[in-house]
Amino acid sequence: MAAPATLPTQGGPGLIQRLRVNVALGAGVVLLVIMVLAAVAAPLLASSGPTEVDLMAVRLPPSPQHWFGTDAVGRDLLSRVLYGGRVSLLIAGVGMIGSLTLGTLMGMLAAFGNRFVRPAVDRVIEIQLAFPYVLLAIAVTSAVRPSTPVLILLMVLAAWAAAARVVRAIALQERGKDYVKAAEVLGASRLRIAMLHVFPSVLPSLVVLAAMQMAAMIVFEATLSFLGMGVQPPTPSWGGIMLDGKNYITSAWWVASLPGLAIVVTSLALVLIGDGLQARTEAMRAREGDR
Amino acid sequence: MGSFIIRRVAQSLIIVVLIAVTVFLVLRLSAGDPARIRAPVFARPDVIEQYRRDFGIDRPLIEQLGSFFLNALRGDLGQSFRFQAPVTDLILQALPKTLMLAGVSLALSLAVAIVLGSLAALRPRSFWGWLSSAVAAFGQSAPVFWTGAVLVLVFAVGLRWLPSGGYNGLSSLVLPAIAVTLSILPTQLRVLRASMQAVLKEDYIRTARAFGLRERRITFVYALKNACLPLLTVIGVDIGYLLGGVIVAEVVFAFPGIGELALVALNARDYPLIQGITIVTASFFVIVNLLIDLLYTRVDPRIRLERS
Repeated sequence: MAAPATLPTQGGPGLIQRLRVNVALGAGVVLLVIMVLAAVAAPLLASSGPTEVDLMAVRLPPSPQHWFGTDAVGRDLLSRVLYGGRVSLLIAGVGMIGSLTLGTLMGMLAAFGNRFVRPAVDRVIEIQLAFPYVLLAIAVTSAVRPSTPVLILLMVLAAWAAAARVVRAIALQERGKDYVKAAEVLGASRLRIAMLHVFPSVLPSLVVLAAMQMAAMIVFEATLSFLGMGVQPPTPSWGGIMLDGKNYITSAWWVASLPGLAIVVTSLALVLIGDGLQARTEAMRAREGDR
Repeated sequence: MGSFIIRRVAQSLIIVVLIAVTVFLVLRLSAGDPARIRAPVFARPDVIEQYRRDFGIDRPLIEQLGSFFLNALRGDLGQSFRFQAPVTDLILQALPKTLMLAGVSLALSLAVAIVLGSLAALRPRSFWGWLSSAVAAFGQSAPVFWTGAVLVLVFAVGLRWLPSGGYNGLSSLVLPAIAVTLSILPTQLRVLRASMQAVLKEDYIRTARAFGLRERRITFVYALKNACLPLLTVIGVDIGYLLGGVIVAEVVFAFPGIGELALVALNARDYPLIQGITIVTASFFVIVNLLIDLLYTRVDPRIRLERS
């Protein structure tokens, strides 16, 4: 299906297009590294502790002393954002790894399991995909006190099925190819084929998924915290800080808006990385297809 | 075809029942004794026992589950602790506003996705292509409550054009709907752009070009119909995000819908209400997915054989 390159909507990615992809990718990586370093080095960078109260400096607007201003009990918001990044990034990072691991296992099972396992796994994935997660979170957090492990579990529960579906689709595609048949003829077990032969084809998509899911989890975790279902105060998390500011939206604009920038910048960085990698993977596949 | 519909409906019913049982069991087993939550703090043991009997938790769990289902089938989801009113009534009061917000947001999002996505597919390297990527990336990264807060700051506090919250008339819908739209738009935009790009490479489009039809007419009249099919599937999955977004937006804007009710119920540990809301919304979600699947087989006859 090679299309003539003269039509306006077609043709391979030109130099400018590739450059654009790489610039977005690079910007994403730089932003992410900055956000992660800032969270890791929070004790060095923060001007005060994240829960240090200063009742003489309540709800101060942004100034050279307090770049993001202070909240209702005089805590420095920039310090809280720096420390909050540790909680948010930890939950999203570990959640993403958990979700991809479980998703890969289930996706492979859905493609390589025996004839009883496959439909069963398919159904489970379908049901998981069709489940509204905010509701799940409400039910879970009304029953259990939300803590970091509980939140990580929620992230995994909310995301694994999407990963499993992607893995399953690619694995099913690969299963029909000659190299898999050759491995079967040589007597390789299905587990061996799945993990050693097919997994490398899944990997590029997994990397893209990793970036996208982590971005989504940062937003999801912040949303839960904002609803009061996240890590409990006074431990700062990005959504929790914004919850503090919800009641002062009209009187202290900075409390509800500036800390949110951390969420936006971090997940934007991850989305840029995901998009960039996706474009590169597609370009790679297209080149292989030409050959 | 007939058997496909029957199987799909049965599957949806099973999912709804599974969700209801799970929610019931999770809340019953982990939430603690409803009588203790409900009764005054220093109530005498016999008073607590009375509450237990009223609530029916002195009976075996399986019997409770049974009567819960029987009652639910008759439309009785129990009494709310907090409001001292039937859960069904409370939900029926809040549901229309939530559905309105969700409907407006979905329609707005689809409209933007179709127009912007098509333009971006037609001219990927133009301003439209850039704008579509930027909107998708931003919408994916900005949480609903943050865009909501910023919208309030700019349009309600700063410019004073629109109300900052509550519900009095259609103007209260504008800001929440924009915030929700931004959060569900990215997937739809990406999917439509990709499918439109694929459709534009098809032979029948080339034929239309050869006939000398104008590019915009080809895109929006001939290609759009086919390019919209994947969008339909996405909507099914998106309903979950949509619900989540609507719940958050309701909280930010103090919009009196299901989401706000759920949060009040959560803070008051009003288990019958939480249970009712979760089950009703989940069922609604499953039904929408079912309808979309059935619609799909009507719209695209090619899908029929593959699925059944």
